[in-house]
Amino acid sequence: MTILKVIAVLLTGFFVGLTLEGIARKIMARVQRRYGPPWYQNFIDVFKALSKRGISHGWIFDFGILMALGGVIATLAFVPLGDLVAFPGLDNIFIIVYLFAVGALGMAMGMVGSGNPNASIGVARALTQMLGYELPYLISIAGVLYYYKTSSVSGLMMAQQDTWTLFKMPIGGIVAFVSLLGMLGKKPFDTPIAPAEIASGPMVELSAKYMGLLMLMHTFSIFVEIGLFVDIFLGVSNYFTFLLKFTIVWIIATLISSVLPRFRIEQVVKFYWKVPLSLAFVQVLFVLLGWVF
Amino acid sequence: MISLTNLILVFLFGSVVSYLLTKSNRVLGSIFNFLLTAYALYEIWNLNINYSEKLFGLFNNLESTFKVTYLGKYFALVSMIIISFVAFFIIEWIKKKGIKPAAFNAFMLIMISGVLGVFFANDLLTLYIFWELAVLGSFLIVPMGKEDSKKAAVIYAVTSAIGSYMYLYATFAIFKRYGVLSFEQVSQQLVNDSSLFKWFIILFIASAGIAKSGIFPLHTWLRITHGNAPDAFSAVLSGQLVKMGSYVLAIAISVFPTVQMFSSFYHGIPLLNYLLIWLGNISILIGTFMAIRQNDMKQLIAFSSIANGGYILVGLGTMNSIGYAGGLFHVFNHAIAAAMIFLSFAAVVYRTGTTKIDEMGGLIWRMPWTFVTYLVGIISLAGIPPTSGFISKWMIFSALVNKGMFITLAITFIGSVGSFLYVFRPLAGVFLGQLKRKHADVKEVPGIMLIPMLLFVVLVLFIGVYPKPVLDYISSIEKVLGIKPISYSGFEIVTPLGKWNTLTVFTMFAVGFIIATVLYLIFPRGKRVELTDQYTGGDYLYNYDLYHYATGFYRFIERLYDRHPSFEKLYGMLAVFFRSIGDIVTDLIYKPSPSGYVFWISVVILIIYWVRW
Repeated sequence: MTILKVIAVLLTGFFVGLTLEGIARKIMARVQRRYGPPWYQNFIDVFKALSKRGISHGWIFDFGILMALGGVIATLAFVPLGDLVAFPGLDNIFIIVYLFAVGALGMAMGMVGSGNPNASIGVARALTQMLGYELPYLISIAGVLYYYKTSSVSGLMMAQQDTWTLFKMPIGGIVAFVSLLGMLGKKPFDTPIAPAEIASGPMVELSAKYMGLLMLMHTFSIFVEIGLFVDIFLGVSNYFTFLLKFTIVWIIATLISSVLPRFRIEQVVKFYWKVPLSLAFVQVLFVLLGWVF
Repeated sequence: MISLTNLILVFLFGSVVSYLLTKSNRVLGSIFNFLLTAYALYEIWNLNINYSEKLFGLFNNLESTFKVTYLGKYFALVSMIIISFVAFFIIEWIKKKGIKPAAFNAFMLIMISGVLGVFFANDLLTLYIFWELAVLGSFLIVPMGKEDSKKAAVIYAVTSAIGSYMYLYATFAIFKRYGVLSFEQVSQQLVNDSSLFKWFIILFIASAGIAKSGIFPLHTWLRITHGNAPDAFSAVLSGQLVKMGSYVLAIAISVFPTVQMFSSFYHGIPLLNYLLIWLGNISILIGTFMAIRQNDMKQLIAFSSIANGGYILVGLGTMNSIGYAGGLFHVFNHAIAAAMIFLSFAAVVYRTGTTKIDEMGGLIWRMPWTFVTYLVGIISLAGIPPTSGFISKWMIFSALVNKGMFITLAITFIGSVGSFLYVFRPLAGVFLGQLKRKHADVKEVPGIMLIPMLLFVVLVLFIGVYPKPVLDYISSIEKVLGIKPISYSGFEIVTPLGKWNTLTVFTMFAVGFIIATVLYLIFPRGKRVELTDQYTGGDYLYNYDLYHYATGFYRFIERLYDRHPSFEKLYGMLAVFFRSIGDIVTDLIYKPSPSGYVFWISVVILIIYWVRW
């Protein structure tokens, strides 16, 4: 049973994730008054990339990519998609956040293993950005955990029977959403990628199947990041309402990112530590005082 | 079974034997050292709890005894695992020229006898005696490292002395007031005492631990001492000796039950513990941000030891079932992780002779197993599952969320995310990227050095999947100390906030990896190209050594706190101040007439004697 559920989660991640990425490209194009690629363009991209013969920079390069994809797949299995929970009771929020770091570390290691300084700069920026967004995110989540007295993600979801956490703790919800933009690497927080400055940063040496595998990893990570936000802040959902909420959050994030320019990396950290972090502390103060709607 | 006194005597006499043996043959002496430590590990493993033994009696009412407690045995086991593995590593490492091998081996054994005495002492005075023995042994080893390591040894001894003299002062004060020194009697007296005296006692005893485990404000020695000590000894220093400080801290706040002695300040945390938690917080911040700046890999991990000492203190300070367990578990995790990392650095230095990150690069192609050790070590240090490092961090986070301590929580998160940043720097700078031309014919270190490193890898992964052996000890310790023991069953650890299963996580991780590998294998193989074949945006590469990005890796974030306040500078200023006073005294009094100098000294001594300070 668990195996079937894990497979269902992964297949949802694959099909819905790639479809949504295609739709996001379309939406972004329309905002920028272009026609845009068809919605299934990302499926074409992934399979085409996977089928080509590329170049590899040695075993650590390959191993890093395997670790990145493997880590993210493992993480995704623990994220509840509405009522589709592969590991009931064991879907601890800290497990998900930290297991997710395996993927990030794997990617960072493999890409720096390619030996291109652009990749190293991109990774250094990505880690710094992580220092920026993780802090407000985790603090606002900690407020939620403290309030509901559970750290199981599905438990948090089921605890919102009467009102959504987003309405109970609006400031925390906003902080988590802003942090989510940074996690997704959406503009204005796409400094690690920055194609114009550092040639796509970590991805600079990727080609063919390596590129394809990392595109898959990216799709799955989007699922982990937004999925957590939906589960924790947007009320009880079953599988289908989960996907609906997921799509809405994803589209809002895309719309915001399609009109904004890019921060510099130290601006990212400064921003996150000034505004969202203080707001997160305000929120947990409210939680401690019992001012929850 | 050998008695504890005899075990310690064996080490003390063994140091003489080891000295003579090493004089005749370096390897032989080191093998002797390893056998002795392995034997001690075996003996300690088999020690019965509550076994006690009289060492000597000074006065009628003051006896020095050894007693085996769960807490002491836990620390002793962790220490002896680290020390015996490092001793095995040293068998090959000692062949390197540059240090005095005979003295090194002898002092090592003296240090170990001190360490064992500390963990089994049953009263404050015995603990102090063996503490100083351990400090003496390690203090004499430190100057055998780099050129300026003599200064490092002095700084180490002075900082350690600040802590241990405060401790000694507290010991005398206790004896004067109550006439007892054993832990149980003292804690009984302290619980019943209502005056402010207990504040001063606990803080002074804790200060020995603060100095030793590198907690702010006595943290400055770690960078200098860890960075300059002999490479293999840094593993013992950071992995084991620093944990002696954590042991004394654990004694100060849990064997002397602070919960019963001080009024609750915040969610059941006594005021004194709250102060200590804040010292831990500051240590985490300093350790993390300063580690990000370092270009010397040993100093980088030394700063990380400061941060992890802070973690342990925060965990222990909560004095709650899960937080205290997290602190104790972190002792084990950081000990193993730091030993792994320092041993892999020792291996790197053994082959390349430098500790500067930007002077290396691409060593993964020459030293893959060293790289594996380092990688698993940093994964555990950064607290990523499925290694054991995650378990303790998760426990500490859970305890802090549960108590609603959000600022401390934020700081521990900074320490945790920041650790990704700083451990990645040596990973990228030393092991990945282009191989420097001067390191083209570097080889992997010999098998004898690899065995302990890879055993550590196995240990970290094993405890990460099956933490029961360590949790058994921790729950027994908590039971004895009157804290509610943690609940766990086999692979599952439970807190009031929820649970998780180590085996499920490991299995899922393996499954994810297998899926990724299958995907990787079914699609066409890529062409293998050299690291010199790069996308350069059209530029022509003529110097591959310079194409490796390692200098100023995090410059953009360092810039944000370039002008930070520094305690190192403050202590430096104090040192200059005292030196200039000394100079003035020398010039004014000593140089004109040494006899006058002696006269004035005698007057001062007489005044002190008369006033009886």
